Amino acid sequence: MRAKPTSSLPGVSRRHFLRAGAATLALPALEAFSATVGSKPQAKNFVAIGTYLGWHQNAFIPKQTGRNYEMPDTLSPISSFRDEFTVFSGLDHRAPNGHGAWSNFLCGQSPKSYSLDQMIANSIGAKSRFPSIQLTAGAGESDNKKGNAISFTRRGVALPMVQRPSVFYERLFMSKADRARTEYMLRSNRSSLDLVLEDTQRLQKSLPARDRDKLEEYFESLRAVEKRMGHQLETINDPVPRPDYKLPSYDPITPNLQIEAEQIMYDLMVLALETESTQVISFFLHGLGQVFSFDGKALGSGYHGLSHHGNNPAMIRDLVAIETAHIHCLAGFLTQLKERKNPEGKSLLDNTVVLLGTGMGDASRHSNANLPTLVAGGGFKHGSHIAADPSKNDAPLLGDLYITLAQRLGLEVDSFSNASRNMNQLFS
Amino acid sequence: MRHRLLLPGLLLGLFATGLIRAEEGTAIPDDAVEFLAEYCIDCHDASTKKGDLDLDLTSIDWSQEESRKLWAKVLKANEEGLMPPAKKDQPTGKEREKIVAWLDSSLIENTPIGGTLPRRLNQAEYEASIRKLLHFPEFKLPMGFPSDTEFHGFNNVGEGLVLSPPHLEAYAKVARDIADQIFPPAKSTPKSRLWKAGPEDMVLSFSAASVQGDALRLASRSVDIMRSCSWPSRIEISDSGTYRISVNASKFLSNEGRPFEEDMILEVYARAVTATDRSKVQDFRLLKEIKVTGEEPRTTAFQGDLYEGETVLFRWKNAEMTHDPPDTAKAFKTLAKENPRFLAAWLKTVFPTGNPKRPVRIAVLRGRNGWDTVSKHMADPNLDLTHASTDSPLAQAFFKLAASKGKTSIADCLCYFYHTKGPAMEIHQLTIEGPSKLVESPADLKRREWQLKITGTPHEGQSKEAFLRDFLSGFLPRTFRKSVTDETVETYLSIAKRHWDAGHTYEEGMHLLFRNILISPRFLYRCLGAGDMDDFDLATRLSYFLTQGPPDETLIDLARRGRLSATRPSKEDPAKMEYWVLRREAERLMPTEFTAPMIQSFVGQWLDTDSLHGIMPDPKFKFDETSIDIAKYETERFFTEILTKNLPMTDFIDPDFTFSSIAFVQRNYGFTPKTSSNKKGKNNAASKRKLQRLKIARGGRYGGLLGQSAILTATANGVDTQPVIRGVWVLENILGIPTPKPPKNVPALTPDTRGTTTPRELLAAHTNESSCSACHQRIDPIGFALENYDPVGRWRNEWPGTKTRIDASGTLPDGTKIENAIELKSWVVDNIDLFSACVLEKLMIYATGRIPNYTETREIEAIVKQNHVTGNGFRSLVLSLIESEVFRTK
Repeated sequence: MRAKPTSSLPGVSRRHFLRAGAATLALPALEAFSATVGSKPQAKNFVAIGTYLGWHQNAFIPKQTGRNYEMPDTLSPISSFRDEFTVFSGLDHRAPNGHGAWSNFLCGQSPKSYSLDQMIANSIGAKSRFPSIQLTAGAGESDNKKGNAISFTRRGVALPMVQRPSVFYERLFMSKADRARTEYMLRSNRSSLDLVLEDTQRLQKSLPARDRDKLEEYFESLRAVEKRMGHQLETINDPVPRPDYKLPSYDPITPNLQIEAEQIMYDLMVLALETESTQVISFFLHGLGQVFSFDGKALGSGYHGLSHHGNNPAMIRDLVAIETAHIHCLAGFLTQLKERKNPEGKSLLDNTVVLLGTGMGDASRHSNANLPTLVAGGGFKHGSHIAADPSKNDAPLLGDLYITLAQRLGLEVDSFSNASRNMNQLFS
Repeated sequence: MRHRLLLPGLLLGLFATGLIRAEEGTAIPDDAVEFLAEYCIDCHDASTKKGDLDLDLTSIDWSQEESRKLWAKVLKANEEGLMPPAKKDQPTGKEREKIVAWLDSSLIENTPIGGTLPRRLNQAEYEASIRKLLHFPEFKLPMGFPSDTEFHGFNNVGEGLVLSPPHLEAYAKVARDIADQIFPPAKSTPKSRLWKAGPEDMVLSFSAASVQGDALRLASRSVDIMRSCSWPSRIEISDSGTYRISVNASKFLSNEGRPFEEDMILEVYARAVTATDRSKVQDFRLLKEIKVTGEEPRTTAFQGDLYEGETVLFRWKNAEMTHDPPDTAKAFKTLAKENPRFLAAWLKTVFPTGNPKRPVRIAVLRGRNGWDTVSKHMADPNLDLTHASTDSPLAQAFFKLAASKGKTSIADCLCYFYHTKGPAMEIHQLTIEGPSKLVESPADLKRREWQLKITGTPHEGQSKEAFLRDFLSGFLPRTFRKSVTDETVETYLSIAKRHWDAGHTYEEGMHLLFRNILISPRFLYRCLGAGDMDDFDLATRLSYFLTQGPPDETLIDLARRGRLSATRPSKEDPAKMEYWVLRREAERLMPTEFTAPMIQSFVGQWLDTDSLHGIMPDPKFKFDETSIDIAKYETERFFTEILTKNLPMTDFIDPDFTFSSIAFVQRNYGFTPKTSSNKKGKNNAASKRKLQRLKIARGGRYGGLLGQSAILTATANGVDTQPVIRGVWVLENILGIPTPKPPKNVPALTPDTRGTTTPRELLAAHTNESSCSACHQRIDPIGFALENYDPVGRWRNEWPGTKTRIDASGTLPDGTKIENAIELKSWVVDNIDLFSACVLEKLMIYATGRIPNYTETREIEAIVKQNHVTGNGFRSLVLSLIESEVFRTK
């Protein structure tokens, strides 16, 4: 993984032309390559959404490839966006199987390694108030310390996720009193930290070389935190619109209220992007055991139980109902992104690469092959189902698609995890 | 003995990184050069570099860890006869011995014991430290705190415990939350607020109150608030303070009810909004008694203190009616005497057939419902008044019923007579305004006590600076687990001092100080300091190892006096010095319960039982959360038994006991165990579910780590079994033989559950393909031996899907042929030192936070050997580790 900072280099490197098109795809017709990467990135935001329990393939992956596919059940809520998204199948990271490897969704072949969103945030996120934001729904109030995560730093540290919509809202749009308190905290901390540092540097000098090197991690982190504090102090009194969004009086955080939470999170995500509070968001849709109800009727089994459907049609029906509800929430998100336009008339959707997928190919078998994937927005030419044939030796990897997405956001990258090509020729 | 299992392919994998510079270093002795030139260099020179291994024969730089690792592999290759490959010329036994002896002594000479990196406290250690240091037993890290990374299977190893900006930010946030709790920020003077509550804002609990017209009416008195009181639920005071409380109330009387001449007394209490409905009035603070004198509503106002989270509660102190059965009966008698229609209506309601032996179900009379029936009868012009005298048998039966206990439903119904006919207490309006001034709540007082518990109290006339200096010179050594210089004390002191000097309050200065202490690397890292391990470091290592928490007062005291590392000549061998204080303290701190943090943490990580709750077995196995809990308990309790009773290491593999419930053993292990007490247990469901020590036969399918449900579930994925995963797991966690990661880009084998092929056919590719076979011929036979256990550890004879008989046989790399898991277990028992060394290595990693180097591995083997001849007890093994140089070296 090599993420280079966005440079002002005109155009794009030759690699795109050299590397593209090596993939053998089971496609009826390949779209013509269009060189669309210019000096200015074509999209500026990145949103990644992943389900823990995957997507039931038969209801997510269209039967036909190309443009004239029949809309699968799960995707029916976004059928009116048909030309705003592309479905991919046959892609994965060649990663190990099992729930433990779920995090390969954004991490590529090695679970719990540098994730795509963080790679993007490290390249483009620094300008925003929040370089990146991690959210989750359906996780319950569990205090499981080894819980799942979607985003990982370069060093493999799992980033905490915000679960309460009210917390996310307050973080985005702090009240005046909170702002004053935060400012006091930051200012008082800044001067006292110097004293801790003074003491610690005295200590560090006396340490053996190996220990000194290890402690350097601490100092590096401290410098990073100080820098962030400085940035926060500079921007703390910047006027941030406090949108007139009505949060419910409670946070829907129990697992059975997952869909409700998703809807609110998507609304707040739109506000975060619209106010340019952040450019990079990852959203983890958990899958625990509680039973969902739709229209007042409880489903036959808990979400997780349904995912082990063993091909029982009634269980699959209920599972697809949940997954369709996820996509219904996504529809609300896409609608709002499309409505919001910048002064040049470009919609927020065209400016935002939305990646929806999973690290779990088939939860019923705990298999991590053939990961159902969907990309919306970002100004791509959409409307197709692009199917790769993984049995071919040079079949593209999901990482190849990620390289294309990262390049769309202006990153000069030519590798991601075990992938080192791209899909620019097929998807642009 | 561990060598026998290592084969060339594995070595090739390990050799992959062996590129070293040899500009400086020690020359290789001539005979060794001769040997290497003859047998090795053909393939492993700079140009061929087979397996990426380039042996530079000019010199060896022993100071480089890389080069020590490389030559340790050369040693192993010769010791185990793995190289040169069979088709090449082989050295003689003598030649091999010579090269092995030279490498062994060179490695031991050049590989010093020790080398733990500074370790950040992991999550559990951090929590335990805060709980103890700050007298904060309920402290927990918030959800979403960055998780710890594992290194070699443990989350407390120096290399794995990286500290990155998200960590430090999270630490700073937690430090701020803790400081907020101990030294809460001064609240800004709140604006005065006005709350108004009318009858519709009051809680109606059972029949205690009802809304009649524009008034709330109370009818009875009782100590149970839910039977007799009412309170406004939409008021919750946020600032403890003095408030002006006004109540508009009046008497309610009517011609149909009884007179009430005296003043009615309305009690106003303060109650927590969150208090349970089962509270008694005496649980609350009485604010005021108001005299209600007439039927005209009048407002009474008074000042009262209300605390954060409180609202008010109303009770009519001198109501005629109570909810105590004898008194209820008395009220009925009085009313019945005055009003025969009342009595007749009740009799009709309670005895609809007229038979005193057959009353209706009283519960349905509860509250309004019952009263509607009674009042309907009262209004009925044809009401039968035959029995409506208090001495009729039917009336007597009724009074008896009303006097019996547990008939509060009747009282609840009677309340409505008072609600509608009076006398009743009427409340029309409540207003609360304030606070006019802030007051300290009991919670605030508790917090102040807590503060003083942490910081102590200043002497008379002591300046806050002098006081803080005193506090810090005691607190910092405990918090930093080290002796602390005056300079350091002054530095931390100046954090608070400067803040005070800048005009901030005492609390603000302390808040800032605590925030900083808690993110100091001296607190976050353990054993930070120059030089060798001192007694403080030893106390810290021992304490976090055995209790997962910081050293207690005893250990700190021993460390301060330098006594923890005291030695004396051993009784058995006077030439040997024993660390008797360290051993005594280890015995004291050794966990005794399976719930002990050390056992939960070590067993959870070593045997992967802490992954169990994330596995969620497929519903078809009917292995629910309770089964998982029992399975986990079995393994943890089993480990605890072997540790506390010092049972032999072989019991880990083939014991004659386990801990479970009879029901679990019957269902999952398919036999009925005898209980340890050997008494014929009661055969009821409860005794079958009881967790207990159970006897099992040695040499069977179940029992021991390799046959326990928890481990067999943790090494499957909840849906199907994968022999490779179990094989690798046993190699790494039972036999102590690490396996290299599979090459990249090899697609994972997803077993086809529709089952056209058996796992054996599927995995045949592994052993046929030469690049795979080197490792897989070691992994797969062990994995297949365990195939008779399904994904939750139940015995099965057929593979699901194909319905073919499971073939669990295989050949272990030392040539031993095994038929099944039972024979695998007996092979491990025969080679128990392999297992002991594996466990001891895991314990060493867990205790010291480093991966053993060459010398340490040899040291571990020596401890195991020594322990084997002295009874092979597990507890002795752990104590030997603690006394060893490996444990005592930084």
